[in-house]
Amino acid sequence: MQIEIYDLTKTYRENRGLLSTTLEVEKGELIAVIGHNGAGKSTLLKMLAGWHLPDSGTVLVDGINLEDRLAVVRKIGFVPETPNLFDSFSLDYNLKLFARLFSVPLLRVEEILKEFDLIPFRKSKVQVLSKGLRQRVSIGRALLADPPLLLFDEPTSGLDFEMTHEIYRMIKEFHASGKTILFTSHRPEELKALATRIIMLHRGAVVFDGPPDTYFQSEIHEKLYQ
Amino acid sequence: MMLRNIVTLTLNDLAIAFKNKTIFLIVFIPLFVFFSLKLVDMSGTDVKKTRLGLIQTEVYAPAIVKTITAADQFFTLLPVSTEAEGKQWVKEKKIDGLLLRDGQEKQSVVLVVLKKESLQALSIVESFSALQKAVEGKNNSWISDVTPLQEGGIQKQTLPTWILMLVLLVGFIIMPAQVAEEKEKKLLLALLQTPIREIEWLIAKVLSGMLLILSAVLLLHLLGKFEPGNVLSYVAIITVGSFCFSSYGILLGFLCRNQASARTLGVMFYLPHLLPSALSDFSQKLTAVAPFLPSYQLYEPIKSILLDGGCISNLSREWLYLLLFGVASLCGSYLLMKKRWLM
Repeated sequence: MQIEIYDLTKTYRENRGLLSTTLEVEKGELIAVIGHNGAGKSTLLKMLAGWHLPDSGTVLVDGINLEDRLAVVRKIGFVPETPNLFDSFSLDYNLKLFARLFSVPLLRVEEILKEFDLIPFRKSKVQVLSKGLRQRVSIGRALLADPPLLLFDEPTSGLDFEMTHEIYRMIKEFHASGKTILFTSHRPEELKALATRIIMLHRGAVVFDGPPDTYFQSEIHEKLYQ
Repeated sequence: MMLRNIVTLTLNDLAIAFKNKTIFLIVFIPLFVFFSLKLVDMSGTDVKKTRLGLIQTEVYAPAIVKTITAADQFFTLLPVSTEAEGKQWVKEKKIDGLLLRDGQEKQSVVLVVLKKESLQALSIVESFSALQKAVEGKNNSWISDVTPLQEGGIQKQTLPTWILMLVLLVGFIIMPAQVAEEKEKKLLLALLQTPIREIEWLIAKVLSGMLLILSAVLLLHLLGKFEPGNVLSYVAIITVGSFCFSSYGILLGFLCRNQASARTLGVMFYLPHLLPSALSDFSQKLTAVAPFLPSYQLYEPIKSILLDGGCISNLSREWLYLLLFGVASLCGSYLLMKKRWLM
């Protein structure tokens, strides 16, 4: 089991967040976490990424407790909804900084730049790049240490049709290379051909967990999205 | 329509100012100035007696002693056993001036004060002049010379205040904003997704603050061609001070959610740390309050080393205070960071 989540809870003052949740994720799954705004999707992913500390519960990644941050940090790559890069520095600088912190060879930066077609922009400051390019840099950074588990929070938010499909193509490729992927979305119709499993959250609780075919035939989809 | 838009936008700006706590500055600064002035300009300050030291074994001109003894509404005369003790008292501000007999002019005295250009020195000279005129009809020979204990011109006298301003600027304006920016833009969280330890990030941040402070102080000395006196002691106290205030600034940054809040909080800490220390020479009340502030614990040693030739080995209480305060701030930041406070 790649991820084991037991009674994970995080609530905010506005009664939003994630209610006691228990989940298991197999290695190599491609999971779409869906739900309306405020359903708890981002909270779940941010807790898995270590951005938020849970109120209670336990998360194991490859059997290691998430609280042992240094032991699991190389296993998880997180791509937030808004790319959090050092805007006033070049794309090259950003990737090299994180490569140094991950202690990976700088050759890996060249690989990432090539893989994501970023070479023409390598000297450009991040602040002048388009949202799509920044998202690609953010994904490239998450892959620097080649983590087996990737988390994408609303990866296509604010992107145009072309870039959205580009991101989904990348996600498919990462999945094909054996990575376990969880990503959030509030547009379930786009996920039919992508996810191997859908977890639906509603008001902080899991209301559906199963294959996409079952989900799209279920009453829940009709109730919440039709 | 235009007027309505202007009003709407103005209200929006005020709401933003309220939300990011800028409005607190509008309330805080007048309040702070009001209380500071109350401390500095107390009623009755103008008639505060000047404390003059007289060496017990010294034979002064009888006319001078008689006159200043009679003018007890202006002077309090305190006996000191030796010239060295008297000078020590001046340094410790137990007395405002020390009178020595002039070796050549028997009817005159030499006035020893802390700073030649100070208001205190001017006041004593003027009082003597007025008294002499009243007694003898002339007014220019009772004080033949004024000897300051702190050498250097007015530029050097103000140097400790400038240095304190630089340290506090980095500590309270630059560091909190930098930390808050990293939190606000989720850059700190991005860094914490790499195998770095929280303490490594904190130490790097403290070091960057210390380097900024040390560079600014070095530049100030180079431009002003100021000699630091005891170089090792000076470097040591500036290093400890920069550690203390960098850590303090980082802690403030952790208490803020965004840069705007950090700027406001920074200013609210900057002024109360700067003014009591820099003004403590002018007010006995501020002298009593200021030692509780870490800025005073930095300011006094800098002043002592730069102006009195002091040495850090004699200032162990001050640097220990700064070191402990810095360590405590660092521990506080570490705890907030571990809790992902306002991230």
